[in-house]
Amino acid sequence: MSFAGYPPPVHLLGDLGMEAELTTGTTARVRTRVTPQVASPGGGVRIGVLATLVDIVGGAIAARVLHPDWMATADLAIELVGPPVGPWVEARGSVLRRGRTTLVVEALVVPVDEDGGDVTVDGRVPDPVAWASMTFAVLPAKDPSAAPQLAADPPVRWAFRGGGLDRPVLDALPVTVLDGPAGRVSVPASPYLANSFGAVQGGVIAMIAEAAGAEALGAVQGRDGSGMVVTGLQIAYLALGRVGPVVTSARVLATGPDGRSGAVVELRDTGADDRLTTVVNVTAEPADLAVRVAP
Amino acid sequence: MTPATPGPGPGDRRTVGPDGEVAEVAGVDPEVDRRRHVSDYFRLERWELPPGPTGEDGPPAMAGRTPVDAHLRGPGGGLRTGGLLTSIDSLGGFTSGLAVLPRWIVTTSLMATVSELTHVGPLRLRADVLRRGRNSVVTALDVVDEGASDRHVAAATLTCAVLDPDAMTLEFERPFVLAMPEPQVDPAPPEEFFCIEPGEGPVTRLRLEDQLRNPWGILHGGAVAMLADEAACRAALAAVPGAGSAHGVAATDVVLHYLRPVKVGPVEARCTVLGTRSGRTTVRVAVHDVGSDDRLVTLGSVTVLAV
Repeated sequence: MSFAGYPPPVHLLGDLGMEAELTTGTTARVRTRVTPQVASPGGGVRIGVLATLVDIVGGAIAARVLHPDWMATADLAIELVGPPVGPWVEARGSVLRRGRTTLVVEALVVPVDEDGGDVTVDGRVPDPVAWASMTFAVLPAKDPSAAPQLAADPPVRWAFRGGGLDRPVLDALPVTVLDGPAGRVSVPASPYLANSFGAVQGGVIAMIAEAAGAEALGAVQGRDGSGMVVTGLQIAYLALGRVGPVVTSARVLATGPDGRSGAVVELRDTGADDRLTTVVNVTAEPADLAVRVAP
Repeated sequence: MTPATPGPGPGDRRTVGPDGEVAEVAGVDPEVDRRRHVSDYFRLERWELPPGPTGEDGPPAMAGRTPVDAHLRGPGGGLRTGGLLTSIDSLGGFTSGLAVLPRWIVTTSLMATVSELTHVGPLRLRADVLRRGRNSVVTALDVVDEGASDRHVAAATLTCAVLDPDAMTLEFERPFVLAMPEPQVDPAPPEEFFCIEPGEGPVTRLRLEDQLRNPWGILHGGAVAMLADEAACRAALAAVPGAGSAHGVAATDVVLHYLRPVKVGPVEARCTVLGTRSGRTTVRVAVHDVGSDDRLVTLGSVTVLAV
């Protein structure tokens, strides 16, 4: 299944090796393998990678439900819950409401085994890895007859194929830290990171915000970004980042006695008059406080 | 999905003066609206800020102030998170509405992270419109504690859908100012005011009394937030042994999607404890309008911290 040739052959989604299934007309699941390249400093999977899974699962559902219209992610929230105790993590999404101008999707990220089945630990299903939700803005089709044809009736399976990641995912983007304490990081708006509009993909935006928030919040505690685990993202997508590079800034809100802290991260498209593209509420905790699980 | 107040029903016309008095409302008793309005319970003062660099054509910005009255303090020692969310919803929704006049808005999602649970008060809020589109408005809110040297309390993002034109006509004297309501004598505690009571298991109920309806006749979004907060804290306390054994629990990170209006009631918040991570319990909250075919009206998550 592809959407007018998206993604291209060399693309982050392919390198993440995502496998997807539209399970019904309103539900889908997308999984990726837990590897050291996507590991967070606490040993789990980076929340930005999980947000990418969620964005893809929501997009797959939205493309089906809204056809022939199209969509843009308006907001996405994700909260880490438990460790990824399995070889794969899978986002399972379902529709909450389909309105005239918006579609709301809920997703639960769970650990799964090699066959895609639920992982059990000591005979019980472990806590989910994360809970997420998102809102899509409906973009009415200008010419419904020109919309991409729907695939066959569900279930429909497809995979994003690529060469795989040979380095940590933040290095693959790549994220360049300009000023850690100020939460200033820079990422190019390259085709490798693009969405179907040619702008920086929504999940990549989450990874950038994760990196910026971790840098700023870590600096307050004398750490760099690798010393923090981002546990929550609340993302408001305001505009597309088409030109780049996308550069962030962060405002640290508070740091608790146990090191858990929050920041507001702004992303701007510096090649487009420094346009504000995204605002993200980021929460994080020190890596040594986080649940440690070796991927 | 809840229209931000003040806001009349479809086809109504109202004028709100600089003192906040409703001069003309068709189909709504202004005395009830003024006395029993949910945001008045938290004594939220509101004022419009002078135009920014973009001038009169730019989106409006507003500020607000709410005291931290004794009966509104939660286990964290500050304003209960549900109360904080109510003020955020009220100020953010109103600011979003001003941005699209003569049209108006409904709140569709609220995302908030609370960084400080202990407050001196009063709390000062600021709302800035981030994006004003044809179909939606996104507004960022920041909350600080004036009584604690403007220590940061919360950050939030509110998304509103713009209603169809001709649904109503709204007129406001600008810049808009609404004074802080006087404190009530012997005020009801939040559970009583919001008609919230325990249900069976991980369920918390709300009776939809008239004072909880906004001028549209549907449940105020702040009341939904209050219910979600209360329900999630109860569920976390029941599910996690030892959670909040010292003083209790309080909500920190909250995401709410207002999917449909609550019209009939009673209302049930059905909670699922998803798990606990580093002392914080994440609870999925599904709010149903039992009297309206039990339909799902709001869904979200609340992360709860032992305090």
